[in-house]
Amino acid sequence: MQLVVVGGSAIEILTEGAYASGDLDLCHVNDATLPVRQRQEIMGLLGAKGGPRNWEVAGMFVDVLGPVESFARTPYRRVQGPYGEVLVMKVEDLLVERVLVSVYPGKNSVALDCAKKLAAMILDGSIPVDWNEIRRVANLPDYRNFPDCVKLVKKVADELNLQTPLHPA
Amino acid sequence: MNSTSKPPCIPLDGAISYEDWLKGRRYRRELGSRVAPEIIRRPRSSSDRRLKKLFHGERGLPFTPKEKL
Repeated sequence: MQLVVVGGSAIEILTEGAYASGDLDLCHVNDATLPVRQRQEIMGLLGAKGGPRNWEVAGMFVDVLGPVESFARTPYRRVQGPYGEVLVMKVEDLLVERVLVSVYPGKNSVALDCAKKLAAMILDGSIPVDWNEIRRVANLPDYRNFPDCVKLVKKVADELNLQTPLHPA
Repeated sequence: MNSTSKPPCIPLDGAISYEDWLKGRRYRRELGSRVAPEIIRRPRSSSDRRLKKLFHGERGLPFTPKEKL
């Protein structure tokens, strides 16, 4: 069983963006379901309270949301922590998703700032990505927001005086 | 920030060590602050009740100041 950090906590690990709140969202990578008994036993070993989908553990909340929703064909990013390796959501998925949330269902300035910080890390080379995968994922029926991604990345590139590799098709 | 002080990247393949990840925290905070406000935590969410109870009226732990990263 493997768990991956998703959402705002993943973006926090990648960007140090001062965005995350006191809950950590996790999804499972390699099982369709994670039996409730197994979840409770594992969380019990960590001294957690609550369940069966969210727990208070180690001074914060942990939510296990279900199977991960990922479209990019790139690897999960891996960060060594003091107690072992942490899997982090694919950056390509995170960027396209955050751009979508910044526009739909209505303008969302926090999601926009989050997307801009992530784009800055990518453009600067602090987080290498596969740009072809960003293009492909943003053009999928699930997102259909490639023009929004192009616009956001260009805006950040201009602000940082960098070149954008993401151009309109 | 300049290229000579740039910390190791979070790679596409392979893992970044904890030490290298720590080294890059301040750089990443400063880079992000060039394109958006330094702190962008959402002011509210559906989890507010439990968060504010645990974090004494806040939605999470305070962020480490840039100077201490």
